[in-house]
Amino acid sequence: MANKKINAKIDELKAGVDWFYSDDFELDQASAKYKELTTLAKDIEKDLAELKNEIKVIDEDFSK
Amino acid sequence: MNSELVYSVTDFQAVCNQILDSAFSGVVIEGEVASFKVNQNKFIFFDLKDDESSIGCFMMAFALRFPLEDGMKVRIRAIPKLTKWGKFSLTVQSVMPVGEGSIKKSLELLKKKLTAEGLFAPERKRRLPEEIEKIGVISSTQAAGYADFCKIMNERWGGLSVTVAHTQVQGAVAADQIIRALQYFNERSEVQVIALIRGGGSADDLAVFNDEKLVRAIAASKIPVITGIGHEIDTSLCDLAADVVASTPSNAAQMLTRDRKEVVAALRGDVGRINNLLNTKIDDFAKETRELVADAKREIVVKIATFEQEIAGIVKVLDQLNPEKVLARGYALMSGKIEVGSVVNITTLKNEIKAEIKEVAKRN
Repeated sequence: MANKKINAKIDELKAGVDWFYSDDFELDQASAKYKELTTLAKDIEKDLAELKNEIKVIDEDFSK
Repeated sequence: MNSELVYSVTDFQAVCNQILDSAFSGVVIEGEVASFKVNQNKFIFFDLKDDESSIGCFMMAFALRFPLEDGMKVRIRAIPKLTKWGKFSLTVQSVMPVGEGSIKKSLELLKKKLTAEGLFAPERKRRLPEEIEKIGVISSTQAAGYADFCKIMNERWGGLSVTVAHTQVQGAVAADQIIRALQYFNERSEVQVIALIRGGGSADDLAVFNDEKLVRAIAASKIPVITGIGHEIDTSLCDLAADVVASTPSNAAQMLTRDRKEVVAALRGDVGRINNLLNTKIDDFAKETRELVADAKREIVVKIATFEQEIAGIVKVLDQLNPEKVLARGYALMSGKIEVGSVVNITTLKNEIKAEIKEVAKRN
């Protein structure tokens, strides 16, 4: 679930970056978009730093 | 009255077996295989010997996990038994090759057999899923390799659900435990990939990963299997049967996870690049604007010159129509009524003249 959220954010960032290279690019929107992406990148970094794995050792006895 | 206990032959044989069973249940013996033979593809007979002694051994073919040949050194777990014909033999429960030479020989034989069956064929290999979130791990949780795997995995990425099946990863019982763990994950289908992890060790330690049943279980797994067994130089038959092979447990963790440091670096790179791109685009727009202004200026200059030329032409025409210029050429301008006796005004370049008309005649 956490991974999905981060992946969605990374996809959003990539789409935002692609906009700058696309024909849709508009200079008057660029500054606001750039600020949005910078904030999103920082947000992702924070999420990544906080992301922990859930490791569960199952109770099953495989010796039997 | 005779108080001595008298046995029948069958009873005596049964008592002997009870004593042997209680004294040596699951005895482990090492020796060299001799007179190896398989009857009806079901029953295996061989002698286990050393320099001075030899014992007959019997086992069921399905219990044999490694190919055997005469001369191979093996370690067997067996129950001593007195047969009904009075022959002492060992009923073998498990057998494992020991010593580098025997392990190598056994490995070669099994590899040849399984290769011929296509278990290691490249077309059987499946790719790891693109986005892994649920991992099944089979390992000993006390093993250094497992600790390495977890350390690298936790350093690199997070948010993963990792289910660990704790099994032995060396010794006679390890293969069956790992097989059961593989079955456990396959029956539930809750993980996307199974990682079989074991750190480095001697050839004897790693021999379990050449167990035929285990190799077959890996090849038959519905869920893709990645192995991270031993060191870089170790290649087991489990590695050959697995979908993906990592050289070590740490390498397996690397192959299963993205590196958050790399992701962060890529994000920063992307943002930095669009910053540069934005600056370039702004410069381009400014340059384009300057060029447009310069073009407009040039156009205005050209238009002004054209207008000036047109005006000069008009001025020239007007100049030629100026009556003074006509008078200057010697002509005179006359106004008044054209009839005899009328006084008309005559203008020349230098004079204003009043004159009386004496005669009016039509020109031819």
